Amino acid sequence: MSQLIWNGLFTGSFYALVALGYSMVYGIIRLLNFAHGDVYMLGAFIGYYCLTLLSGVTSGLPALLIVLVVAMLATGLAGVGIERLAYRPLRQAPRLAVLITAVGVSFSLEYGVRLIAGADPKVYPVRLDGQPVELLGARLTAEQLVLVAVAFVLMGALHTLVMRTRAGRAMRAIAADPKAAHLSGIEVGQVIARVFFLGSALAGAAGVMAGAYYGRIEFLMGFVIGLKAFTAAVIGGIGNLPGAMLGGLALGLLESFGTGLTGGEWRDVFAFGCLIVFLVARPQGILGEKAVVRM
Amino acid sequence: MKLRAAAILAVLLALPGCSGGLFGGGDDTSEIVLGMPVPLSGDSAAIGPYMRNGAQLAIDELNAKGGVLGRKLKLAAEDDACDPQTATAAATKLVSQKVVASVGGYCSGATLPTLPVFDRAKIPVVIPAANSDQLFEKKLPYVFLINSTGTQQAGTAVEWATKQSLSRVVVVHDNTSYSKNIADLTSAALKERSAGSVVITKGEAEHGPAVTAVRAKNPDLVYFTGYYADGGLFIRQLRQAGYTGKIMVADGSVDKQLITIAGQDKAQGVYATMTGLPEFTPGAEQWISKYKEKFGSEPGPYSTQSYDAVRLVADALTRAASTDGDKLRKALEETKAFPMFSGPLSFTPQHTLAVSGFVILEVKGSRFELVK
Repeated sequence: MSQLIWNGLFTGSFYALVALGYSMVYGIIRLLNFAHGDVYMLGAFIGYYCLTLLSGVTSGLPALLIVLVVAMLATGLAGVGIERLAYRPLRQAPRLAVLITAVGVSFSLEYGVRLIAGADPKVYPVRLDGQPVELLGARLTAEQLVLVAVAFVLMGALHTLVMRTRAGRAMRAIAADPKAAHLSGIEVGQVIARVFFLGSALAGAAGVMAGAYYGRIEFLMGFVIGLKAFTAAVIGGIGNLPGAMLGGLALGLLESFGTGLTGGEWRDVFAFGCLIVFLVARPQGILGEKAVVRM
Repeated sequence: MKLRAAAILAVLLALPGCSGGLFGGGDDTSEIVLGMPVPLSGDSAAIGPYMRNGAQLAIDELNAKGGVLGRKLKLAAEDDACDPQTATAAATKLVSQKVVASVGGYCSGATLPTLPVFDRAKIPVVIPAANSDQLFEKKLPYVFLINSTGTQQAGTAVEWATKQSLSRVVVVHDNTSYSKNIADLTSAALKERSAGSVVITKGEAEHGPAVTAVRAKNPDLVYFTGYYADGGLFIRQLRQAGYTGKIMVADGSVDKQLITIAGQDKAQGVYATMTGLPEFTPGAEQWISKYKEKFGSEPGPYSTQSYDAVRLVADALTRAASTDGDKLRKALEETKAFPMFSGPLSFTPQHTLAVSGFVILEVKGSRFELVK
């Protein structure tokens, strides 16, 4: 029982990190950024190459923390680049066009990485897996705790940034009403770029953490987690940041208990079944508000 | 519109056919092309090159001796990505290239849908690696398996478990044709010694729920029948969770990458059911050095079987004295004690190996070694 809860919280915190970027981007420009899962993959690969470079100099946890920061910066910039190249020119285009572009960006990232890194799965040079300890009936490792803690720190930092700073206020203003925000002197383009930077950096962090924990990365690893993060964002209330975190954890727990009850082959059925249930019964999600029709 | 479709069709037909040329169909000096759908990308991408190189080695040897029926052989390897859709597209492309036979097929799930494509075109398929029972259950007349079957593999695993007097066996599969087939057959053969089965999601990184389910059944042997990319992670997470019993994997997981992904310390003592690897075959040293010289790397799983598949087809072509699909099929059926790495080959009426060649391997250090 406590093992199921811990499994759920652990995977859930990955979902939550990726879901945040999904939710932020949707909140601000109403775009389902399907390339977001692939930014996670990109983070894992950048981390992999950085760690390989660093392997002679330093290793273990300190190396991993440096690489985490480097990968976050790199994926953040990649996110800004994607927005600048693929989405900004389509700001006035119908939403469907942007959505299809997002799918295109997703494929470009996947197969671009495949061209450079190859299709073979890669094994991370630094691996986080200490001896498991028994805690309240669940087996967990100190490294797992560190990863979950890092995830929560990142989420907390993001929340503070959005709720307590000037930049965050500008983001919320655009989410509420882009035109009025523009009229009141907010640099809409710049703020959107910033949102992409933050969201992509979080996904990149999740990618490095997943790479270091599981040890195996490959170019398609972002696909399913992208869909799961989307599901988590919808469950929590898309566009709502605490909702995305809550949704990620809720999805992790749902999956864990679902598979605990019915067997592993039902996990994805369970996850995406929840997506459908929420879309039908409560499309605004747990914390979302009823959608206001926008002009 | 019609004109454009015709033009596209013409281009499509012309593109792959370059070797024989568009007008090479009836020309008896053109090359005999053998198709080979194997995974060159995706999560089984490590295996495809082993198989392609093995087949290429056989083709080069045969061509050096003047080819077959006075014509040179040529290999057309296509990526099937271990994915049913990609594989079907690859098979269709090979059929349009007018291959004489197919010598590919690694993932059973991806190979299965290609079989009707070849069969309809009356192109014999000699499958070197894929071995789910589903592949021959439909009794397609042009399909031949030269790897031992799922039943034979499950039999080997059960026999070993019996010898080790293991009494609580959990099988873990990934729900693909190959994996589920061996898992189901093993569970059935184990009878009351089976402690149930657990399913993992192929390509997933987190196997926590499956590991928890396995541990709850308290087994003394876990038999994993999926592929190495998942197997490595699964073994790692199973050991991390504190499982200390025996682990065994099926032939889809026999690759050095399994040990790298699991971590060498965690992979120690993992057993495997596997058809003969060249390094365990007496008299294969010369073959291995030839392979290394040509491709600059060691042969891997199914290099020898692919090499043998090409030789078998060449032998059948010579006996049939024709590239006609029906005659070739008949010649394949009449194969008697054809010498292969895994032993002399004859086919059962189902077109499977009359004698199984499975052995037990164990991970020692960074490699799989034969258990005596």
